[in-house]
Amino acid sequence: MAELANNSTAPAAQAIDEARRRKLLELVRGRALARPTDLAEDEVMVWPSLVVVEAVSAVVFLGILTILSVLVNAPLLERANPQQTPNPSKAPWYFLNLQELLLHMDAGLAGVIVPTLALGGIAAIPYFDRSPLGVGILGTSSKGRKIIAFSAVFTTVVLTGMILIDEVIGTGTQWGIGRYLQEEQGAPEWVGGIVLSALIMAGTIGVFVVFVKGIFRPTRRELIIALFTGFFVAYWVLAIFGTSFRGEGQELTWPWNLPLEHH
Amino acid sequence: MRREQTLADRITGSAVWRSVVRHGYPDTQRNQALIIASNVFLHIHPVKIKRYATKVTYTFCLGGLSFFMFLVLTMTGVLLMFYYIPSESQAYESMLAIEGSVSFGQLMRNMHRWSAQGMVIAVFLHMGRVFYTGSYKPPREFNWVIGVLLLVTTFLLSFTGYLLPWDQLAYWAITVGSNIGGAAPIVGPQVNRILLGDLQIGQSTLIRFYTLHVIFLPLIAAFLMAVHFWRIRKDGGISGPL
Repeated sequence: MAELANNSTAPAAQAIDEARRRKLLELVRGRALARPTDLAEDEVMVWPSLVVVEAVSAVVFLGILTILSVLVNAPLLERANPQQTPNPSKAPWYFLNLQELLLHMDAGLAGVIVPTLALGGIAAIPYFDRSPLGVGILGTSSKGRKIIAFSAVFTTVVLTGMILIDEVIGTGTQWGIGRYLQEEQGAPEWVGGIVLSALIMAGTIGVFVVFVKGIFRPTRRELIIALFTGFFVAYWVLAIFGTSFRGEGQELTWPWNLPLEHH
Repeated sequence: MRREQTLADRITGSAVWRSVVRHGYPDTQRNQALIIASNVFLHIHPVKIKRYATKVTYTFCLGGLSFFMFLVLTMTGVLLMFYYIPSESQAYESMLAIEGSVSFGQLMRNMHRWSAQGMVIAVFLHMGRVFYTGSYKPPREFNWVIGVLLLVTTFLLSFTGYLLPWDQLAYWAITVGSNIGGAAPIVGPQVNRILLGDLQIGQSTLIRFYTLHVIFLPLIAAFLMAVHFWRIRKDGGISGPL
């Protein structure tokens, strides 16, 4: 950069006419023209190559946002009333996955422990997967992309299945086992709500890992891809269930039967 | 031979202009380098960059969009602050005033609301893009951790803003949300109490959420973003094929 700074203090240099510049060029052959950067084959100047992309995407996005904001108003219901609990009451949509989990197990496990473990696990990924293989390639390889597809389908199907099974047997009863232990055997609530629920979740993830290992013989990176995809898809599947399929009393229902006031 | 000076030449050659803009028109490589290096807003970039890093289908602009939405939210948020009153008795009325009688108030509020939702989605998808391209791998481990903290900060920003309209949607969403936080083992009741500042949502909650939303969390986010962007450059630019 020092070289650049020196050059910038010589605006007179720009005034040198073309003929004289040629002569100068001959004089100091080799490194005559001020070349602030030596562009390698695979490099481009940030101005204009990157700045243009940023400017265009900013303008396009701002346009979309403005049009959306002109057309659709942000919701504003009646004044807050602590005496009148709406049914259903819902958290903001990005936490509705936690609220969905909450229906099936202990609140502390669903609302705090699971998300903390998930975020902690995600933050720790680079300390487990340190091989530089596959950097810069979406999904690492065609095998990686197959694992992503498999994991996404597996997660969607199994998660949806588990929610529906719970609905049939009794939501929050841990497939009836928790209810049986509590009602018939006098076990405390946490046995079902925490221990059984944690076992069911860990077991499902375990089965998933066995499937991925059996089918794909994955490397560490590929196994982490499978697990991350599981998290990524579960986040949205649960959020969609919470947002669009939970009506009065948090009963499963169709989206068109929901009150139209949740955003 | 000197060509005739146009008005544009006179302006761009004047002492005043040169005191502000220290580079010529960026049609030479030298000036293109200078424009990046001498502009405080642009110098976040390096002067040159790998060709793959400009491909929209690699980044999908998601990180940039998240930052851009943060800027939109800051600007519309400041405008809303001129009118919004964080008081239990006046918050809802000030919302009605913003929507009903403030020029472009409804538009400002809509833009704030929709970009807030958009930012949560963009940050989340950005994490996905960074993960699937393996961009967290050494030497970028720490920046990935900063990114996870930024995701959490984004959630908290959105969550604290959710209460401010003081309507039924806001009130009960925050009730459910803070109950989830209050379910934490051992420290649950304390967490709930710290969040609400009271036994239930009221004036103390509103002023807490407001202060967190308009100054505390934005500062945290700005601090983390400064580290995040700085580390991208220090770790060798955005990732790419080896």
